[in-house]
Order: sequence, then structure tokens, then C-alpha cells
Amino acid sequence: MSDTKTAAGVESVAKPKKRINLGFDRFSGLYVWALLIIVFSLWIPDLFLQTSTLQQVIIFQAISALVALGLLLPVAAGAFDLTVAATLTVAMCFTGWALTNHHGVVIAAGGALLIGVVVGLANSLVVVKLKVDSFIGTLGMSSILVAVAYRITDTSQIVLSTTGYAPFFDFARTQFFGLPLSVYYAAAIALFFWWILEYTPGGRYLYAVGGNPIAARLAGVRVNRVTTLAFVASGVTAAFAGIVAMATIGTAGADSGSGYLLPAFSAVFLGATQIRPGRVNVLGTLIAIFLLATGVTGLQLVGAPNYVTGLFNGVALITAVALAARSARRRA
Amino acid sequence: MTTALSVRDATKIFGGTTALDHVSIDVEPGEVRALVGQNGCGKSTLIKILAGYHIPEPGTSVTVGGQELAFGDGTASEAAGLRFVHQDLGLVANLDAVDNMALGQGYITNGTQTINWRKERGAAREALAALGYEINISVPVAGLQMSERTAIAIARAMSPRGTPPKMLILDEPTANLPAAEAERLYALVKRVAASGVAVLFVSHHFDEVFEMADSVTVLRDGKFIITRPVAGLTEEQLIEYVVGRRLEDADHGGEARPHGPAVIDLQGISGRTVRDMSLTVHRGEVVGIAGITGSGREEVASLIFGGHGHSGVITVDGEALPQSRPDISIDRGVALVPAERHANAALMDQTLRENITIVNPGHHMTLGFLRRRPEKSDVQTWLERLDVRPPVTEFTMTQLSGGNQQKVVIARWLRQEPKVLILDEPTQGVDVGAKADIHRMVDEAAAQGTAVIVASTDHEELVRVCDRVVIMRRGRAAEVIERSRLTPDNLTAATIGRDVTDGAA
Repeated sequence: MSDTKTAAGVESVAKPKKRINLGFDRFSGLYVWALLIIVFSLWIPDLFLQTSTLQQVIIFQAISALVALGLLLPVAAGAFDLTVAATLTVAMCFTGWALTNHHGVVIAAGGALLIGVVVGLANSLVVVKLKVDSFIGTLGMSSILVAVAYRITDTSQIVLSTTGYAPFFDFARTQFFGLPLSVYYAAAIALFFWWILEYTPGGRYLYAVGGNPIAARLAGVRVNRVTTLAFVASGVTAAFAGIVAMATIGTAGADSGSGYLLPAFSAVFLGATQIRPGRVNVLGTLIAIFLLATGVTGLQLVGAPNYVTGLFNGVALITAVALAARSARRRA
Repeated sequence: MTTALSVRDATKIFGGTTALDHVSIDVEPGEVRALVGQNGCGKSTLIKILAGYHIPEPGTSVTVGGQELAFGDGTASEAAGLRFVHQDLGLVANLDAVDNMALGQGYITNGTQTINWRKERGAAREALAALGYEINISVPVAGLQMSERTAIAIARAMSPRGTPPKMLILDEPTANLPAAEAERLYALVKRVAASGVAVLFVSHHFDEVFEMADSVTVLRDGKFIITRPVAGLTEEQLIEYVVGRRLEDADHGGEARPHGPAVIDLQGISGRTVRDMSLTVHRGEVVGIAGITGSGREEVASLIFGGHGHSGVITVDGEALPQSRPDISIDRGVALVPAERHANAALMDQTLRENITIVNPGHHMTLGFLRRRPEKSDVQTWLERLDVRPPVTEFTMTQLSGGNQQKVVIARWLRQEPKVLILDEPTQGVDVGAKADIHRMVDEAAAQGTAVIVASTDHEELVRVCDRVVIMRRGRAAEVIERSRLTPDNLTAATIGRDVTDGAA
């Protein structure tokens, strides 16, 4: 009955090793981002070093950021939520359908957010009540959602004309200080979730459930309730991202959201190696998003074909998780 | 008739400890021998030597059916005719009996390497029938009763793989069985012996010894004490062999602690193993729970905390505790330091601060924001009070030794100032220094009026801290030993045998 973690009876008074602390363990992302900027600035200075490039990077990522941020809560609690992209899709399609059928913005947006809530509750039912593994459960759920999207759009695309729905487009596209509102929404959500995860008991409960649900339960944490709220938050955020996406892009189809899934997970897991290594966190996720976006934009400006995005995100995700596993082993 | 098993001068030394000291025993074919002794007496070391898991010191010699046994080789042990059934049976829950019995020995195939199911099934049924069992061999074994599963494990052990089995070695065969099923198993073992195979079983349960065994060997502190027939042996004599001396009334120097009024009351509590348990604990009192594996002791702590479902009523200061609501139990002032802190209590990758404050993180909040600085100094005070080393709030649990991790978990609960503090194996995997510290914490908690319940297999620990100890036997709270008669030997005797309450036979 000995403690397997430490050698027999020996106290491990392990102090963190004193190294020259350039912060590699917590800020490696920033260094890599800086490296990317330098590389592309030298490679294609005329194309890369423009304000429009920076704008492009940031704007392009606003929607991605919303999806990734929503994902933080269930992942912190130890659950996968693969429905985020599909929820975004359904919300986009629903908004488009509601507007083109003259139901007004309130119904369109309110309905879309409600869809987010319903998806979150459905995920919770599957994962918490039916005890299906979250990866499998949300995978199945996302497939169902895509089918719903096909139904809403009648398997075609819904297009909103810019002139006909100007107020709606203003919601996302109005610019302040050179950046569209969508960016500010992402920033606001980032601050909100940062507050929850770092400064509220709820954040502690989420990490506790993710770290050791049995211990959390015995310490009085309402594990089921926490998991349910995490899924609902993720669903609503993804739905909100869908509304913003529709207001930004103007076209919706059942295939609209699928491209957001992998980048969101890449950002969240890559973000878990930053700032607070070992746990997913807001700031790390944002750094990861910008890092990935800079890389992809730079490659596109260089003239790399479109599929390079997928390649980049895939490599980033694998690298991030491998690095995280390695540093977790070193910490143990 | 060659002796089935002959062990001469079995000796095994681990570092500085002599686990086995020149033990010699003989078992004849068809004999059922019980191997008995306290924890640490050497019986599992002996079994592991026979299984090829340990290599004994030179000078040891073991012959099976007249043939010398090669040490350190499991296949050699099996080839010699030794067959083992361990406490966990080694069955795969989702496979059926036929597949389980084929594990490790292969299937009967046709010439084309396809399994001949008819012959397989027939062989399985025959093997089980020989043991007196008729079992559904087509369902996953997880759905069968424990005694049926044990029968399957024994049938598998008994099958002739190359050499015929000469000796069946069982480890606590009826530990996890209710009384009725245990009876069936006694019959099974007798059948095995009747077929000419010798049986050696390790046991803590005296009923097993008296019902199944022809003879018993007792070990104590690694040394051979005696081998004698069960016929004519009394429980008291057996206890005396096991423990080494006549049980005397202990004399406790310490005064009994003054208690306050009753704070927690259990009425008719039943769980998976526990049956109809009732108990009342008072403020300032320390009550111990003792018992061997399968006695229900391991369930009591979480039953009282309400962590898992139960039937019966638990009231704290008059209010009933709802089932399976740890958060409500905590609100009502009940705290649980669970066994196996790694699995059940520690948030390993999180800081000591987060571990300690997880029960009430909102304690230091202003305007919707958790205040880190007051939280850190609060936690720092606790780390110092409990002498956690190193007392750094931002270290993670993985950076601490077992004893200090346990102190952090205890700090989590002491900080809540509970009415009832339940500790389950509180010093498991904890070094000597931290152990003493934790015992002092129990003293202090009781002195401050907390009702403390300690479930433990460490009898010295129970003697050190408890006012009285409840002995669990086969799920029931069988007796209570008061402080005046608390000794480790009395506890051992009580958990494995009969009542210690009366001195005479």
C-alpha cells in the first residue's frame, strides 16, 4: 500500500529548477509567433508588412476565436465538445432562414441562441445522463446537427443580400478604430470567460471536474451540474459565433461551419501549453489563435495553395498535444 | 504415495527484513491445508515463491510430487503441477465461461485451426460438473454469481495443461462471498481434494479454516509455528498460535476522553456489503472501524458521508442526510478524507492552494472576483499549521511526498471546521513522521469537539487514536471494543475470529 509516486519514504522536496527564465515553458507561443512574423517579413516584406494584412489576420480570426473560447469550458471540465462547428452551422442557417422569411432580427438571433442552449442540454443529456463518452456522443450529435442544417437550407445555400439586410450586417461589420464589431465581440467573450475561469468558484469547479471528477464530487462539487453548464455555455457561444458569421459572410449552407472545428481544437490545446501550462486557458488560446492565423495568412500570401491551412492546423494540433504530454510527464 | 508439496527451509530476505525464516511444511495429496497468520507473517511471500514470483534464498528447497521445483519461473511452477487462483480470480468480465477457461491454455481446434466449439463447450461443462457446478457457460461471467465465477477460475486451474495438477493454491477463496455461497465453495474444495489434488489456501477467515481444512499451518513473523489437524482445534487455541500469546486485558494509560452530546446517528444502514449497521458518535469522540477485506469496513466511511447510496437513515444533529449528495453532507458539517487519495481526493496537477480551497472557493471574494492574496495567506497559515513540507501554496500536489499530500487533503477539511470528520485509511502510504503528525491532528480535532470516525486496517493506528473500535465482520457491526481493552492483537483476533468480549471459551 505504498505511494507509487515517490520513492519509498523519501520526501521529494522538489523546487522548480532554477534556469535562466526566458519563460520558454509558459510563453513559447509568443516566441514562435514572433519568429513567424520575422520569417514572413523577410520573405515577403511588401505583402506581409501592411496594416491590411494585420487587419485580415485579426478579422479572419474573430469567428474562430468565438468558437475556440466557447470550447474552453467543456474542455476545462474534461469533456470534448465536437458539436461547436455544427452548432455554428445550424445557427447560421437558422438566422438566414428566419431573416429571409421575414421573421425579424429578434426571432432570428433569439432563435439561434436558443438552438445553442438546446444543443448544450442535449449534449449534457447524452454525456452526463446516458454516460456516453463525450467524444463519441458529441461526434454523433454533430452529425445530427448537420442533417438539421440541410433540412433548414433545403440542401442549398441561403444568401442574404447586402442591401436588403443592411442593419443585420452592421451588427458584425461596423468598424471602430479600423476593426469590425465582430472582433470586439470576441474580445468581450474572451474577457468574460477569462473572468469565469480565473476569478470565480465556477472556474475552480470546472478545472476540478476536469482534473479528478471523483475527488471533485467528494469535495462537494456538483459535477453533473457543472458539466451541463459547460456544454450549454459552449453551445450558446457557438451559436453566437454563427450569428456573427452570418452577419460577416452573408451566405450560409450546411457545409459552412465544418472548417472551424479543427482550428478551434488546435487553438485550445495549443493554448493549454501557454501561460498556464497543463490547463486550457483564455490567454493561451488567444495567443494560439493569432499564432496559427499569422502562419496561415503568411503562407497564403506567399502563394501556397488553400489546403495549406489544413496542413498547418493539423501539424499544430499534434505538436501542441505532444508538447503538453511531454511537459506533463516532466512535471509529474 | 509421494508428498504433493514439500517445502524445506524456505527463506526470503528483502533488504533488511526477513520475510520468511526457514519455513518447512509438507502437504499430502488430497489434503486440504489452511495457511494462516497475521499481515506480514510471510504467507503471501511463501505463495509468491511457489508461483515463481520471488526467488528464495539459497538453501531453500521445494519439491512438488517428488520433483524439484525451479524457482523464479511461473511456467515451471505450472508445469510442476502447482495451480493458483488469486483473490481477484483473473477472469475477463465480458467473456463467457468457455472463453475464460480457454485463456492461457488455448482452444480445441480442428485440423484447419478453427475452434471446435462443440468439443470446447463439452469440455467446459464437464470440468464444471466435476466440481459440482452447472453454470450457464454462454453468458459473460460478469453476470454470474461470485461463487460461480470462483468455480470457473478453479475449473480453469484444474484443467490438465500438459501435466496434471498436483496442488491447487487459493488465496482468500471466500473473502468476497456471502455465507450461503461460501458453503457451496467448501463443498467444491472438498471435491477437488477427493480427486487426489492437494489444496493449500491462505485465509483470514476462521470459518473457512474450520469448515474446509483438514489441517492448518500457522506462520508468525516469517517463522513456522505449527502444523496440526483441524480436528480438536479450538478458536482460542488458533488465535493464540496466530497472535503469540494469551489475550490479556489491556491496560490503557490514557484517560478516556470526555465526550459531548451525540452528533451523528446511523440507523439500519446497508450498502453493498454492509448490513444493518447502527452507530452513534458523540462530539469529541474518536470511533474506529476495523475489519478485514470483505467485512464492509472499506465501505463504511463513504456510506456515512453519504457519498454513495444506502438504505437506512443517517442523521446529523437531528437532520437526516440525503443519499448521494456529498455537497449537502458537507453543508451539514460532515467531512470525508477518502482512502486512496490519488484516485479520490487529490487534484494532482493543481496547486496546494486550489486543493485546499476547492470545498469553498468563494470564501475570499470581493465584487465578484476571487481575491488571490487573502486566499494565499489563508492557505499558507494552514500549510504551516499542519507542517506541510514544503509550505509553498503554489506548488502542485505532484511535487509533494505522500505524507504531505495527505496533510493537504486533511487541511482541506479541517479548514471547514466540520462537526463530523471521517478518515478512511488516513496514513496509507504515509511516512512515519507524517503519520505521527496526522494522529496528533486527530487528537486535536477531537479536543475541539469534532466527532471523528477512523476506518483503518492499521490496528496500531486505531489503538493510538480511538476511544472505541467497531469490529466489522461479514458486513455487520459485530462488536465494539472499548479503550480499556484496545490492543492490536485484540483487534486482529476480533476481525478474524470470534468475540473478544468474554475471556472464557
